[in-house]
Amino acid sequence: MDEEYEVIVLGTGLKECILSGLLSVDGLKVLHMDRNDYYGGESTSLNLNQLWKKFRGEEKAPAHLGSSRDYNVDMMPKFMMANGKLVRVLIHTDVTKYLSFKAVDGSYVFVQGKVQKVPATPMEALKSPLMGIFEKRRAGKFFSYVQEYDEKDPKTHDGMDLRRVTTKDLIAKFGLKEDTIDFIGHAVALHCNDNHLHQPAYDTVMRMKLYAESLARFQGGSPYIYPLYGLGELPQAFARLSAVYGGTYMLNKPECKVEFDEEGKVSGVTSEGETAKCKKVVCDPSYLTNKVRKIGRVARAIAIMSHPIPNTNDSQSVQVILPQKQLGRKSDMYVFCCSYSHNVAPKGKFIAFVSTDAETDNPQTELQPGIDLLGPVDELFFDIYDRYEPVNEPTLDNCFISTSYDATTHFDTTVVDVLNMYKLITGKELDLSVDLNAASAAEEE
Amino acid sequence: MSSRRRVLLKVIILGDSGVGKTSLMNQFVNRKFSNQYKATIGADFLTKEVQIDDRIFTLQIWDTAGQERFQSLGVAFYRGADCCVLVYDVNVMKSFDNLNNWREEFLIQASPSDPENFPFVVLGNKTDVDGGKSRVVSEKKAKAWCASKGNIPYFETSAKEGFNVDAAFECITKNAFKNEPEEEPYLPDTIDVAGGQQQRSTGCEC
Repeated sequence: MDEEYEVIVLGTGLKECILSGLLSVDGLKVLHMDRNDYYGGESTSLNLNQLWKKFRGEEKAPAHLGSSRDYNVDMMPKFMMANGKLVRVLIHTDVTKYLSFKAVDGSYVFVQGKVQKVPATPMEALKSPLMGIFEKRRAGKFFSYVQEYDEKDPKTHDGMDLRRVTTKDLIAKFGLKEDTIDFIGHAVALHCNDNHLHQPAYDTVMRMKLYAESLARFQGGSPYIYPLYGLGELPQAFARLSAVYGGTYMLNKPECKVEFDEEGKVSGVTSEGETAKCKKVVCDPSYLTNKVRKIGRVARAIAIMSHPIPNTNDSQSVQVILPQKQLGRKSDMYVFCCSYSHNVAPKGKFIAFVSTDAETDNPQTELQPGIDLLGPVDELFFDIYDRYEPVNEPTLDNCFISTSYDATTHFDTTVVDVLNMYKLITGKELDLSVDLNAASAAEEE
Repeated sequence: MSSRRRVLLKVIILGDSGVGKTSLMNQFVNRKFSNQYKATIGADFLTKEVQIDDRIFTLQIWDTAGQERFQSLGVAFYRGADCCVLVYDVNVMKSFDNLNNWREEFLIQASPSDPENFPFVVLGNKTDVDGGKSRVVSEKKAKAWCASKGNIPYFETSAKEGFNVDAAFECITKNAFKNEPEEEPYLPDTIDVAGGQQQRSTGCEC
């Protein structure tokens, strides 16, 4: 330390590592620090001993669970949309060369007390008990409308301006039933509550198109992909990108204290008696607690199991969405399961997560509907934590603070936050219009 | 072309900052040397095909990208390594003393299934400096340390002059291959995120 940097990044969460990578590639001199001796911060993946230490206060996990290093338990479980923004960031930065991905086996939704597969093919759609025959016809028309919709081609609009017409009104035009609306809004458009029904329909339609594109991309059983060895690989991959372009890394730096000048602008960061100077600081909320405000709590159960989640056709990786209305809640609940097939557990073991926004003072009890879907559980842990968002003015103090990760099992909000921060920090917009087909063509050369 | 299956071997290079890890990699893969020292920038992993007897190996050689400077390599860097190369500078005693730390760090992070027999190779680099006059680590001392750690193969190299670099990497390749498990390990079928299939067209144009 005792050097001068343009940007100091604090915390090696996924958002911070993506930004560190992007800024280093841009030629900025970046110092990246973390108080932990591992990468990932709150979005890390823990091995078994780390898991035991964090949740049980013990150094060693029971031997019968297998080797500690075989476990990579996500602290922020999410799947990636195969055509989503995070994939575009990975391709844009060429970080895919450090990672391996596998498709997620299935996507399910909890409707009327049952776990139902979200159809991945027209054949599955025809057989699905989610809708009756006539409802399927109506839904088919709606899906065709969404598929054909092109903002620039008025012929596809059918006389509706989706920037003004609400989702509710759009759906009403097709005469769909309540349960179908629930299923589409939450399991296809991936909204986490019902607020979208009263918003312009454009966003929902775009989300549905993304779902269909992601489904088609690898033609797996779901639109999702997930990295081998768990999500903790992602921060490490972006950190390596940053390092390759000159970023300096310091893990295990306790008490990173942000220093300010008399005008209140950031001037540097002090740790272990040494101060590094900088013009800007990028960090997660835990490094600047006086500049953030609480915006909610996430409740999560983490389970180690020896079987797939029941009623998911023996899926080794799966998401189950429990829409709020089905549970009588304000926001959705998410069940996420992965296993040895993605190298996050030893052979025969599965890791499952149940996540939602906490709405009461008893979050563990709130998780019970999701836990009930898991079947027998070998070990169960609870992680309840607050979410924060920044309240500072970055143009005044040059501090750029990320928002805490939400409870959803997908990355859209994560990348949006990163892109917004990147623009605030650099004044530039990141062009993510990766032509996936061009990427394929380039590879064949 | 040989009908034998090509073998991909991951090799990682560890050692203190400034001992010449990147230069060794560049000398071996690209036949280049740069005198200008900058804590590693731009080095990533490089691949090179190596033919030994009638067998072709693809070496994937991972540099630390400078993250070793403040002990900040992640577990992902170590995962799946088939051979670990430990590099020190024969003119810097501390870099030799730290080999023990690097070896132990590797064994902790990589957790190989057979730690006693995991293949290491040690390189004593920069033998060219001052024509050998500023050397402080004797060959004898280095060989003794290697012998005490399970007879680790030892080479004295000069990345600048290219001395002994090829011989070292041939040994690295052979030892890495010996470590490759006979039976295929469990390999999930991964997908190509950067490439991907042509999207299925929706609706015909007719």
